Amino acid sequence: MNVMNPAVHSQAGSRAEIAGKSLKCCRLCPRNCGVDRLAGEIGYCRLDAGVRCFREVLHWGEEKMLNPSHQIYFAGCNLRCEFCTVAEWNEQPEAAKVMDVEQLAAVIARRKKEGARTVNLLGGEPAVSVHGILKLLARLDATTKVVWNSNMYYDTIVDELMAGLIDICLADLKCGNADCANRLLGSADYVEVAKRNILRAVRHCDVIVRYLVLPGHTDCCLRPILNWLSAELPNVKLSLRGNYVPPVQAAAAPLRYLQSDELKRAEHLAVGKGLTLVQ
Amino acid sequence: MKKKPYRRKCGDFEIRVLTDGRVIMLAPDDELLEIARALDPNSELLPPKIKDEGYART
Repeated sequence: MNVMNPAVHSQAGSRAEIAGKSLKCCRLCPRNCGVDRLAGEIGYCRLDAGVRCFREVLHWGEEKMLNPSHQIYFAGCNLRCEFCTVAEWNEQPEAAKVMDVEQLAAVIARRKKEGARTVNLLGGEPAVSVHGILKLLARLDATTKVVWNSNMYYDTIVDELMAGLIDICLADLKCGNADCANRLLGSADYVEVAKRNILRAVRHCDVIVRYLVLPGHTDCCLRPILNWLSAELPNVKLSLRGNYVPPVQAAAAPLRYLQSDELKRAEHLAVGKGLTLVQ
Repeated sequence: MKKKPYRRKCGDFEIRVLTDGRVIMLAPDDELLEIARALDPNSELLPPKIKDEGYART
């Protein structure tokens, strides 16, 4: 596991200022809204300049190398996944409290005493709250193990701002082709952007590529993802998750649970490609 | 009975009980995790070492 570079850690505050100024014409993600979040305008992520957290919990359900993981949920997202389990907070992020950096830093310290091995920044999508996250990181001990738990759908400026400040990038690669990404996530360019950002992330931190196995998406999503990984990142850690929860209603997302033999087949395919699975 | 399924609102939590008996908790908080532990003390949500020490949240 990498250790946060202390020299870079000291830059977190100045990077937070840069990120904050960029909200004047927000292009943090490929939605390219260009809205003035500082003036209270909201774009696709439905966030103004306020950074909002709606839940924090010490969790043992992440990959073993991350557990126990202190999950911090940021409201607001740049995707509209039909199967999102916290969609309500992305549809209405203003319902969440505005983050108090000092208070949250104290909670992180308490969770560390309770056994938290990592601080897990997730959402929603943390990239659209990067200015506040940088402020938070500036306040934390440089030895804190930070997990960037992201859909990887953001502009390269986010990668530049976070480089050296995160220990593990938990890259949640959601689909394997543009058509599925468009129908399930509401973003046709998602796969292309996410792949680019994963390739950038491996330059500066450990990366776990996580794929939530979607029922019935073996040929269109799973196989293309495995093929790409085996060609571009053959040594990357891959986490195949079988805990897909079907939405009650959906236009395109699968409406059934994954079966255990489907997960086994997915793992078999990954191993057949020479990839390293992590649990 | 309403024709449309209930849509979660901010602050709601969702627990599903599947026909095979599994219980699913979506994005649980501390309280739901406590319930999970009560339902299944051997749950992977609670690692053995901490469980043996009688872990309690402070």
